[in-house]
Amino acid sequence: MNLPGFILRNAFRNKRRLALSVSSVAVSLFLLITLQVALRELTNPINDEGSSLRIIVRNKVSLAQPLPVRQLQVLEKIPGVVAVTPFSFFGGLYKGDEKFTSFAQFAVDPARTLPLLADAKIPKAQLDAWIADRTACIVGQMTADRYGLKLGDRMQFTGQIYPCDLDLKVVGIYHGTADDRNLMFHQAYLDELLGNLGTVGTWWVRASSVAEAPLVTERINQAFANSSAEVRAESERAFVLGFVSMWANIKTLIGGISIVVVFALLLVTVSTMSMAIRERFRELAILKALGFRRRELFAFILAESFGLAMCGALLGAGGAWVMYHYLLNIQKLTNGLFIMFEVTPKMMGLAFSVAALLGVLAAIAPMVTVARTSVVQGLKTLD
Amino acid sequence: MSEPESIVTIRHLSKIYAQGDIQVTALDDISLVIAAGEFLTLMGPSGSGKSTLLHIIAGIDRPTSGECLVQGIDVTKLNESQLADWRNQNVGFVFQTFNLIPVLTAFENVELPLLLTRLGHAQRRKLVNTALDIVGLADRSHHLPKQLSGGQEQRVAIARALVTDPKLVVADEPTGNLDSHSAQEVLGILQSLSRQVGKTVIMVTHDPKAAAFGSRSIHLEKGELTN
Ligand SMILES: Nc1ncnc2c1ncn2[C@@H]1O[C@H](COP(=O)(O)OP(=O)(O)O)[C@@H](O)[C@H]1O
Ligand SMILES: [Mg+2]
Repeated sequence: MNLPGFILRNAFRNKRRLALSVSSVAVSLFLLITLQVALRELTNPINDEGSSLRIIVRNKVSLAQPLPVRQLQVLEKIPGVVAVTPFSFFGGLYKGDEKFTSFAQFAVDPARTLPLLADAKIPKAQLDAWIADRTACIVGQMTADRYGLKLGDRMQFTGQIYPCDLDLKVVGIYHGTADDRNLMFHQAYLDELLGNLGTVGTWWVRASSVAEAPLVTERINQAFANSSAEVRAESERAFVLGFVSMWANIKTLIGGISIVVVFALLLVTVSTMSMAIRERFRELAILKALGFRRRELFAFILAESFGLAMCGALLGAGGAWVMYHYLLNIQKLTNGLFIMFEVTPKMMGLAFSVAALLGVLAAIAPMVTVARTSVVQGLKTLD
Repeated sequence: MSEPESIVTIRHLSKIYAQGDIQVTALDDISLVIAAGEFLTLMGPSGSGKSTLLHIIAGIDRPTSGECLVQGIDVTKLNESQLADWRNQNVGFVFQTFNLIPVLTAFENVELPLLLTRLGHAQRRKLVNTALDIVGLADRSHHLPKQLSGGQEQRVAIARALVTDPKLVVADEPTGNLDSHSAQEVLGILQSLSRQVGKTVIMVTHDPKAAAFGSRSIHLEKGELTN
C-alpha cells in the first residue's frame, strides 16, 4: 500500500455513498452542459459581430408578404447602402429529409451578394462558377459535411412555401460565416420557376459601417413609408433576435437554472464530504498520533473531495459530450429546433472548472475541523 | 550498561484546564524519571490525570508548565510538525479502543506509520511481517479488523506501535475492552517488549492484575503522585 492507495481505500469505504455522490455531481454537470449547449444554440446567431453591418428589409405587414422588385433601385440610392441583393427564404425540403431540412435555402443575386458574404471563405473560382450558372448554388461547410456534398453534386428541393421544386448544382462550399449551414442560389432561377412574379422575399442590405447601420435602417424605413409596400428594415442581428425574442427570456431562465444547479451541487458535495470526514474523525486523530502531519491530512481530504468531483465531471461532462456527439440525433429528437447541439471545449472547461471548485470548496470545512481538533480531542470522541 | 539510563525525565509538570471560572488541575507539579527498558504502569482512579500524563509524554498533548524530556529532547518545546515527526519515529501508541482503520487489512494498518518514512516497499513488508510475527498474527495479515477478535485487533495495534521500532511504547488501558484471556496475551506481549527487546513501555491501567505485569508502578491521585 502507498498513500494514494490509502486515499482510494478511504474513498471507497462507503461505496453506496460514493456512487450516489459521484452520480449527483455527474447528473448535475450533465444538466449544466445540456443547458449551456441549448443556450448557445438559441443565442449563437446574436453573438455574431459582422451581422450588425447587415440589414434585412422585409414587408412591414409580415415576413410572409413579398416585396416588389422595383424597390431595388430606391434601395441602391440610399446613402450608406453598400450592397443590396434579393434575399428570399425558399424553405424547401431537401430530397431525402423526411419532415424537416436543417439548413435554409436563400435565393439571392450572386453578383450582388458578394459584399454581404464578406466573412465567407470560398475560392474565387467557385464564386465565379456560381455567378455564371443560373442553377448553381453554394452551400455552407456544415451542410456539406452533414450530407457529404461535393462540388458537382446535385441537390433537389421540394418547395414548401413556393409552389415549385429546385434542382441545383453545388459549385461552391464556403465557411467562416456565423452560420455555415445556409445554401444560396439564384433569385433569377426562382423567378423563372415561378413565372417572373416581380417580387422577392426580403432584401439583404450591407451598410457602409457599423456606426452607419442604424441610420441606414432608418432611411430605408422612411424611403418606403406610405408606399404600397411599406417595409421594416432592421439589422440582421435584430431580425434574428426577433425570431428568437422568446429565447431571450429563456436565456435568463437557463442562466438562472444553471446557477441553481451549481449551487445545489455545491451543497450536496459539501455535505457529503463533511459526512465522510466526520465519521472518520477518530481515525484522523489516530493518524495524527502516528505522525501524519496536518498537511498530509489536508491532502487526504482534498484528494478525496477533488477526486470525487472530478469523477463526477468525467462521467457527467464526458457523458454529455459522448451523448450529444455520437449517440443522440438531437436534430431529429427536437424536430429541428436544435441543429448542432454541440458541446464545445469551453463548456467542458466550465464543467471541469465547476467540479474543481466544488472539490476544493467541499474540502475546506472538513480541513478546518481537522486542523482545529487536537489528537487528544479526536481521541476523546471514542472513549 | 549496568546503570540503567533514563529515557524520560519529567520536571514540575502541570496541566490545568480552564473552564470558564473553574480551573481543573489535571496534573499538579509532577516530577518523574523513567528508566530505559522499564515497563511502567500508571495507576489511579478515574480522572486522576493518568491519560493526561501519558499524552504529554507521548507528545500529543501539551502541559501548562514544566518540562518533559524524552531522550534529552524537551517535547513540550517542539512545534506541531516537529512533534509529528518525533512521534512517528519515537513513540508507539496502543489505545483502549483498538483504533485500527477499518478499511485496511491488518498488514496495511501496521504498515501505516511506515508510509511516512523513506523505506521502500520491500523493506516495509519485512518490517510489517516482523511486527506481526512478534504479536503472533503473521497468519492474519490479510484480514480486515472486523474479521479479527478484540484481542487480535489489539495485537495488531501493538504491531502497528512497534513497526517503526520506537524507543517508547505508550498504552492507555490497552486491556480495558478485552476479556481476561486476551488481556493476558496483550499484557504478555507488552511485558516481553520491555524484557526481551528493551523497549520502554508506559501503560495506564486501573487493574492491579494488569499492573502486576509491569516492572514498576506509580500512582496518581487528583493529579499528584502518591508514592
Ligand atoms: N479537555 C478537557 N477539559 C477540561 N478538563 C479536562 C479535559 N480533559 C481532561 N480533563 C480533566 O482532567 C482530569 C484528568 O483527566 P484524565 O487524564 O483523562 O484522567 P484519567 O485518564 O486518569 O481518567 C479529569 O478531572 C478530567 O475531567
Ligand atoms: Mg484515561
